[in-house]
Amino acid sequence: MTQADTATPLLRARGITKHYGAVVALDAVDLDLHAGEVLGVVGDNGAGKSTLIKALTGAISKTAGTVEMDGKDIQITTPTEAKAAGIETVYQDLALVNELSITKNMYLGREIVRDTLFGHLFGTLDFAKMDTEIRALFQKLDIRITDIYREAEAFSGGQRQAVALAKTVMFGKRIAILDEPTAALGVRESKMAMDLVRSLKDHGLSVIMITHNMQHVMNYCDRVMVLRLGRLAAVRDVADVDGDTLVGLITGAAEDKVA
Amino acid sequence: MTDLPRPSAPPVSAPTPGGSNLDVLKHQFQQIWQVLAALALIYMVFFVLSEPFRSFDTLLSIFGQAAILAILACGTTVVLISGGLDLSVGSIFAVVGVIVGIVLAEYRLPVPVAVLIGLAAGALMGALNGTIQVLTKVPAFIVTLGGLTAYKGIAEILASGRDLSRFPENFQVLGSGYLVPMGIMFGVALLTGLFLTKTRLGNHAFAIGGNEEVARLSGVNVRKSRIYYYMIGGVLAATAAILEVSKLNFAMPARGQSYELFAIAAVVIGGTSLFGGRGGVGKTLIGMLIMQTIIVGLSYLGVGTSVQRIAIGIIIILAVYWDVWRRPAR
Ligand SMILES: Nc1ncnc2c1ncn2[C@@H]1O[C@H](COP(=O)(O)OP(=O)(O)OP(=O)(O)O)[C@@H](O)[C@H]1O
Ligand SMILES: [Mg+2]
Repeated sequence: MTQADTATPLLRARGITKHYGAVVALDAVDLDLHAGEVLGVVGDNGAGKSTLIKALTGAISKTAGTVEMDGKDIQITTPTEAKAAGIETVYQDLALVNELSITKNMYLGREIVRDTLFGHLFGTLDFAKMDTEIRALFQKLDIRITDIYREAEAFSGGQRQAVALAKTVMFGKRIAILDEPTAALGVRESKMAMDLVRSLKDHGLSVIMITHNMQHVMNYCDRVMVLRLGRLAAVRDVADVDGDTLVGLITGAAEDKVA
Repeated sequence: MTDLPRPSAPPVSAPTPGGSNLDVLKHQFQQIWQVLAALALIYMVFFVLSEPFRSFDTLLSIFGQAAILAILACGTTVVLISGGLDLSVGSIFAVVGVIVGIVLAEYRLPVPVAVLIGLAAGALMGALNGTIQVLTKVPAFIVTLGGLTAYKGIAEILASGRDLSRFPENFQVLGSGYLVPMGIMFGVALLTGLFLTKTRLGNHAFAIGGNEEVARLSGVNVRKSRIYYYMIGGVLAATAAILEVSKLNFAMPARGQSYELFAIAAVVIGGTSLFGGRGGVGKTLIGMLIMQTIIVGLSYLGVGTSVQRIAIGIIIILAVYWDVWRRPAR
């Protein structure tokens, strides 16, 4: 990595603000994501974590704020634009369509069309190819789901989360953003999900991960940012903090020490 | 995709069997066998109760009478799967009938041209329904309720003072007898089914109807897709209208009344969800056959149309109850 690479963050957001009418959900939050790092985002319920990543990825329009990628200004106003920029996101509670099969969920919005004139004309889908790619990926990631033709609602929370994460592995080119990837998962399934997060990093992606689990911050993140009441309360290298300090920052008990 | 390190994590769950083509077929059959069984049962009941019902002609007439409404209902299926609703297709049906009648009886244009004009008019009215919805965000129920009366009014204005009858011989072929309409019905159902299951736009109907927000976040162009689904509904209402005008050999604005309700009834009896995200045209065909079998069967038993309507009404409520009941809590 050259000197310039370390200096210019992969993603630099400044003054990200979101108002819902009179409610200020997010107040001028800055975020830097460096290449190859896992950045944790923590904060109490309603602190603005989901709002932040939705504003970054064009899922909602932001009231104010700028985003740079590789030091250049970038406008991301729709989820499609975020994907085009190489940003893949797993939104909280909005990862899969219950009624669609695993295959259709994995490729939703990016289906593989048959490579024939007819296929391109009418958008006929190449399910065989999609199935093959998914099976290969699942095998590589050790996701033991074979009946990928079944609707997503037939699978457990852990399996669904694994599918959502596999989607970011399949399509993520530069940045993976994960909103509570282990929410509502059991111990074993959490471990599995977090190993998938680690393989995203090993795959060369930079990761932003929202979590309520301090252990996961300590074990998997390089840096962590703390949101409180819509504001950025602190940014720390994980090596420099312990769980108790983080909890203090989240609740505001450590307010004075921060300032 | 480059190589990924294999995570050391334990498997998410025990390996689940399945994945072969046979499993997929079995899975699909599981979703349709109940309505098929219901149809068989209802047919058997009338078969036992009524002697004349047993003839092959009766079976043919059930299909024949189902054909026109079934074509319309294929469009309704697409719209309902996408989480939409179109109450105006009966009135679109009326407008198209009148337009085709005018084109044929007054302007004496060739039949293929008349058919194309009719289909285009249906597409246009459907697209208008969809466009108004995505632009104004007024609910589908209201927009298409408005369409129901507005299009009806247009049909009346267009038809007033005109004699729309006695069409060319080669036009009358389309809707006469049972076989041609039945053939067109199966053709339409096949195409609509292929559209829903094999194409990108068709698959997006299930995604949007299942969870519009997830679809949007996945990069699906929800608004544009919705307009297409309403257009398809309009085109299929137009197709049905053209067949009926041909069959009756006259056109009038009163036709198509309540057809949207019969179509919705057939769709939900067949098992397509009123809430979107699930369903298919195969189910709709079966639903339409169930309805027609009951109507034909009851009339063979000497039961009048009023009681038939009551029976259909009860079945619609039961079908939706079943839809609500099996829908998993979220
Ligand atoms: N669509 C909306 N309309 C109005 N207010 C909203 C909307 N979405 C979020 N908010 C508000 O914005 C604030 C931040 O919400 P957000 O979902 O970002 O919190 P969060 O940090 O992700 O919480 P959690 O840990 O519970 O997921 C909350 O006060 C919430 O009520
Ligand atoms: Mg959240």
